[in-house]
Amino acid sequence: MTAPALAAGDTRQLSHDAEARVFLRLRAMLAWRTIQWMVRHARLRLTLVALLSLVFWASLYGLFHEAFAFLDSLHAQVISLLFNAFFASLMVMLVFSNGILTYGSMYASPEAKLLLTLPARSESIFGHKFRESLWFSCWGFVLLGSPMLAAYGVVRGAPWTYYALLFPLMISFVIIPATIGSICCIAMAAWLPRLRFHATAVALAAGSTAAVWLGWSLIRSVNNQGITTAWFEETLSRMSIAEHKLLPSWWLSSGLIEAARKDVDAENAWASFIESLKFLALLVSNGLLLQVAGGWVAQSAYRLGYSQIAGEVPARRNRQLSRFDDFLTNIGSRRRRPLRLLLVKDLRIFRRDIAQWSQFAIFFGLLGLYFFNLRCFNYTHTYRSMIGFLNLAVVGLILSTFTTRFIFPMISLEGRRFWILGLLPVHRDQIVWSKFLFSFFGGLLPCSLLVWLSDSMLGVSRGLLVVHEICCLMLCLGLSGIAVGLGAKMPDLRESSPAKIASGFGGTLSLVMSSLFIIFTVMVVALPVHVFAALAAMAPPGRSPFSWAAGPWGMTISVSVVVVVGLLVTFIPLTLGIRAFRQLEP
Amino acid sequence: MIEFDHVSRSYGRKLAVDDLALSIPRGELFALLGPNGAGKTTTIKMLVGLLRPSGGAVRVCGHDVARSPREAHMHLGYVPDEPCLYDKLTGREFLWFIADMFGMPRHVATRRIAEEIEHFELAEFANDLAESYSLGMKQRLVFAAALLHDPSVLVLDEPMVGLDPRSVRIVKDLLQEKTHQGMTVFMSTHTLAMAEEMADRIGVMVRGRMQFLGTVMELREHMAIESTSLEQLYLQFTTDRPDSPAAEAAGEQV
Repeated sequence: MTAPALAAGDTRQLSHDAEARVFLRLRAMLAWRTIQWMVRHARLRLTLVALLSLVFWASLYGLFHEAFAFLDSLHAQVISLLFNAFFASLMVMLVFSNGILTYGSMYASPEAKLLLTLPARSESIFGHKFRESLWFSCWGFVLLGSPMLAAYGVVRGAPWTYYALLFPLMISFVIIPATIGSICCIAMAAWLPRLRFHATAVALAAGSTAAVWLGWSLIRSVNNQGITTAWFEETLSRMSIAEHKLLPSWWLSSGLIEAARKDVDAENAWASFIESLKFLALLVSNGLLLQVAGGWVAQSAYRLGYSQIAGEVPARRNRQLSRFDDFLTNIGSRRRRPLRLLLVKDLRIFRRDIAQWSQFAIFFGLLGLYFFNLRCFNYTHTYRSMIGFLNLAVVGLILSTFTTRFIFPMISLEGRRFWILGLLPVHRDQIVWSKFLFSFFGGLLPCSLLVWLSDSMLGVSRGLLVVHEICCLMLCLGLSGIAVGLGAKMPDLRESSPAKIASGFGGTLSLVMSSLFIIFTVMVVALPVHVFAALAAMAPPGRSPFSWAAGPWGMTISVSVVVVVGLLVTFIPLTLGIRAFRQLEP
Repeated sequence: MIEFDHVSRSYGRKLAVDDLALSIPRGELFALLGPNGAGKTTTIKMLVGLLRPSGGAVRVCGHDVARSPREAHMHLGYVPDEPCLYDKLTGREFLWFIADMFGMPRHVATRRIAEEIEHFELAEFANDLAESYSLGMKQRLVFAAALLHDPSVLVLDEPMVGLDPRSVRIVKDLLQEKTHQGMTVFMSTHTLAMAEEMADRIGVMVRGRMQFLGTVMELREHMAIESTSLEQLYLQFTTDRPDSPAAEAAGEQV
């Protein structure tokens, strides 16, 4: 017996407000269920995220407190300049990041497909998805910006009203670039669908070039003349564009500076507070106006853009890359051919997954850019060596995020296609080995190049460069072993999203183990160079027990320890993973 | 109820749907058949408003889907080939969201949700998160959601994928009953036995063009073959044509 038909009037088109309420209810339900799920199933990850965020926040606060305490003694215009430059660059980044987030959530997500087949207004869907991307934007901005602004308030001795206005000012500011990014994305999808990637790439390249040019010229200028009044004035004029009064970043920094002004005179204090409220009103009103504009653009262009993008023909594959794949497949003995075939398959998937290679390129590219600029700073010998070790740790940490995010889920994702591999004449061990080799060689090339670049720019000794390269090799081995081994030991065969697999218990454990391994490796090799050398220097000549430890013998022992531990960290998880994978029943 | 008014849609240079003119009246169950890449999914995506036609118009209950999507969607229920749910919502919460989107008063929504949960035998897992559902469970929930507002037009894209035999029976009985009550069903399927059993009319699409439109009986007459199953008729129809994929492949080999 089927359900009786509904009576007339039992369904109706919703008003704007009612539709917004339905979407808000949906968002609240999703948030509540996600929190419940995390508390029940991902306590380790939740605790780690909270703890690391706290440590990160406190470190940033300490750093900014010191910086503001120093700057407070300088010209007041420095703070204004810094705030304007910081918020202006953040504004540009928010425009891009929100544009990309909007594309992912409004055009590439299955949810968009569902919502577009319901009687929902385009502008309501835009509002719903915008709140999602705004949350991601705000989260990062608040984590980065709040310790800085709290430190500024403390150093300036700001009144309580400053702290009360802090979050309203920050959030109302974020809405403006976020909405601009979303509007640009929707407009490009509808009216420039084929040029959207080119336009974004050109804008990104132009922005990066301008930032690099500005940074380079400032550093060169410091090196040439030191921090003088002439340099300061030159810098001010170079960065005057960030101080334009029509920029929301200027409204924000002016609002913050006014709110933080501490006046003994009550009348002046009240005037400063009112002034900062005016800037808040300016931010809020512009944010709301842009939201209206965003709704209007979504109303006229969202469905059109979705249709344009959904109807795109996939790009043809590059023939030269296919030849390269063939070369890789056929080189070497026939016995190892299945292993090479598996490697080439993973290489193809990596190449065709924009999320993977673009993040890889951005992170390693930025790191390379930073290392390339190291020569501009005049460091002492001790600092050079210390920065060399820190750079080694940073390279390792970035590699560990990639091995956790992309390598760890590979076995789980393979499990879903297990029937294909299960029918092939390939031993299961080879599947795990192929992932390991893919991760190891994929990481080794950029990492060893970056370490070489960093040490060359810093001008460290050849001996230390060799030590760093050995550490880099062990890090690549160990991190690949951890990610592949744990991925095979704790696969999640039901999940199809690599991001969700990586954020589970196994992925978190892999990240924690990787971080501990990196810290251990860098500290063990840094000991003879820094700690023992410092202790030996403090003792009378020839009588320190640390003298030999600070010399070549100490370094040889440290490197040996790193190699032994690195091999253990590589092969123990890998062996456990291979054993588990042999027994796996998909 | 459904009208394709000389509809075309191209992907770059490739014409996926070519001048489709089709009208499906109230209470008819129409099955769209065709080989892979024939343009069936494109046709369905235009019908539910995910794709805009390059030319012509698609109308549902008189509303142009591209120009008045909300009005058209009030009359539409859609079961896609890949069910899309919110992983972090329970089945019941998902149905409430759909009921809210169609502006159902609370008492009506409560009744309809209870009816659909009973109908599709969802009670056992309706309060679990959708991420724990199997493909069949998801598909049943999507069916319940598509029928919740009692639409005039139901669009089904490969509806039986993932359903167990009992669920298939439930869906078949339901479709028959709903079409008798006046619901129009537009179904794309490769399950020829189901099309033969249930469809009032079938359409065979090959390379974006509707090559045949009529009843199974008319297809038999057209092919001049008697007492043959739809499967055989379909295979012969799509293979014998000079522009069929099989014929083209054979031509390429020569």
